[in-house]
Amino acid sequence: MNFLRLKDWFSERYDLGDLKKMAGEKLVPVHRYEFLYYTGGITLFLFVLQFVTGMILSFYYVPHPEHAHKSIIEIVTKLNLGWFFRSFHHWGAQLLMVFVFIHLFGTLLTKSYRKPREFLWFSGLILLGITIFFGLSGYLLLWDERALAAVKVATGGSGAFPVIGHFLMAFLRGGIDVTGETLIRFYAFHVAVLPLLTLFLIGFHVLLVQYHGMSVPLSVEKEGYTHVPFFPNVLYKDLAIWLVVLGTVATLAVFLPPEIGVKADPLAPTPENIKPEWYFLFLFQTLKLFPGEILGLNGETIALMLIAGAILFLFLLPLFDKKTSRGEKSPLFTWIGIAYVAYFVIMTIVGYLS
Amino acid sequence: MKKVIAGLIISLAATASLAWADGKVEVFTTVRYDQFIIYQSLAFFWVGIAGLLVIIRMKLKEIERIQKLGLDKKEEDAPFLE
Amino acid sequence: MKLPYSLVNRRTFLNGLFGGWLLAFFSGSLYALFKFAFPTLGKEPDFVVLKAADYLDIAPNSTKAFAWGGKVGLFFKKTDGTMMAIKGVCSHMDCNVVYKPLDRKFYCACHKGWFDDTGRNIEGPPPKPLEIFVYTIEEEKLIVARKGVKVELPKA
Repeated sequence: MNFLRLKDWFSERYDLGDLKKMAGEKLVPVHRYEFLYYTGGITLFLFVLQFVTGMILSFYYVPHPEHAHKSIIEIVTKLNLGWFFRSFHHWGAQLLMVFVFIHLFGTLLTKSYRKPREFLWFSGLILLGITIFFGLSGYLLLWDERALAAVKVATGGSGAFPVIGHFLMAFLRGGIDVTGETLIRFYAFHVAVLPLLTLFLIGFHVLLVQYHGMSVPLSVEKEGYTHVPFFPNVLYKDLAIWLVVLGTVATLAVFLPPEIGVKADPLAPTPENIKPEWYFLFLFQTLKLFPGEILGLNGETIALMLIAGAILFLFLLPLFDKKTSRGEKSPLFTWIGIAYVAYFVIMTIVGYLS
Repeated sequence: MKKVIAGLIISLAATASLAWADGKVEVFTTVRYDQFIIYQSLAFFWVGIAGLLVIIRMKLKEIERIQKLGLDKKEEDAPFLE
Repeated sequence: MKLPYSLVNRRTFLNGLFGGWLLAFFSGSLYALFKFAFPTLGKEPDFVVLKAADYLDIAPNSTKAFAWGGKVGLFFKKTDGTMMAIKGVCSHMDCNVVYKPLDRKFYCACHKGWFDDTGRNIEGPPPKPLEIFVYTIEEEKLIVARKGVKVELPKA
């Protein structure tokens, strides 16, 4: 049989037995928080879906301020199934964002970041930043007036940073203002820079998971737990969940296709009551809390400094949380974790309702 | 009857062209038949997923049964038959 | 012949079923993806410009064909003299339709589909009416356009 000969050809060159043994030896703990293990897999799967649909959308999208809006209308109204795959890409992104945050908060609350997994935490948080930037840059590509206004606000915020603010803003915008230059720049970010960084970091992240094995929460570690082999038991469960996710994205894409607004005009007035995408709402809402001036200083700058400080603290959390690293209980950091989650959830809801 | 249908078609066309003039883009087809085909395809898609889920469940049960019997562990010093 | 044991054990049956179903599921999904990746060759135009003199004087209860991209369009004059432009392609399997003056209906020979003189599907497999175009007359030009499309003539 040809297949067997091919297998022989291959195994003469590479020892597949080792790989098989490695796959067989990967064990996954069984306990009451095990559902959190699947959130990483779902995120990975959604990334794959975004890559595939994004590649094909880029066949038709024209990254030029004159043609961008029109080319999306062409995709939606004229191409075979174009409306579906644009909608699919949109909803895939939304769900991806949801699961990235669930994955993050799950890791935070079960303290899976503790020694020796610090680099998993660091690479994960960088991936979160990249994912958010993916969302922002992809949103501008639509080039309608709401996208233009949202990106003006988001990049304008970075300008309020002390010292490097203006440099950062000019780098993001490709000029002083959001113009056609910004569109081309964001397109390059969205289809070239960010995907390459993402591939590299996801590879690193997943490799580290294999190296360290699955983390088990401290409380469970004390109680004791059993294992199941990753292959085939957990892989099949992963597959089942992925299928449900795939169906969910397709269903959302069919029933709630995103609207296309009026073509962006950098000279037109900003449309009324615009809101950023939901994953920016907690930042947006925080900025709103601060008055324009505090003790003679720019209120926005202070708010941004506080946000940056909070994010930096979150990033370096594994280094501060020494107790958990030693395997002791540390209720202080549990409360800090809960505070982060609660702040995000409450501010998002408040931002959504206001 | 014909007049009613013709009127309907004309008014539909008029609203469609109005929507166009308004700058609203038709992101989902308004043709009844095409909508039906889309919903039907989505239903078939879910049937495909449901089938796979059932098979995966059956496979998992089978795997667990074999693992319970201890048949999945290969004996290291088993003699070759050939 | 009845075998005392089954040649197919539970595991091979499940593997076959799983593999087959996976193949069917993913080939279906990928087919949709490929349909989007490969655009229809010879995209349909938004409008075509014809010579009005060639079409306006046709006899009542008859049609005259014009090129709609790579497909056929029919300019149609009813018995009462009203005119319309129709895409002459059946909504079922894209076969070309023909006007039958005696029945005053459009007929598709592929699967015996019938449309009345307003383009409505009345008999046979066609699921949708024929596509009706909008036509305007500008001097000696007859402009046939898809519904809802703004016609922008190239400047001569």
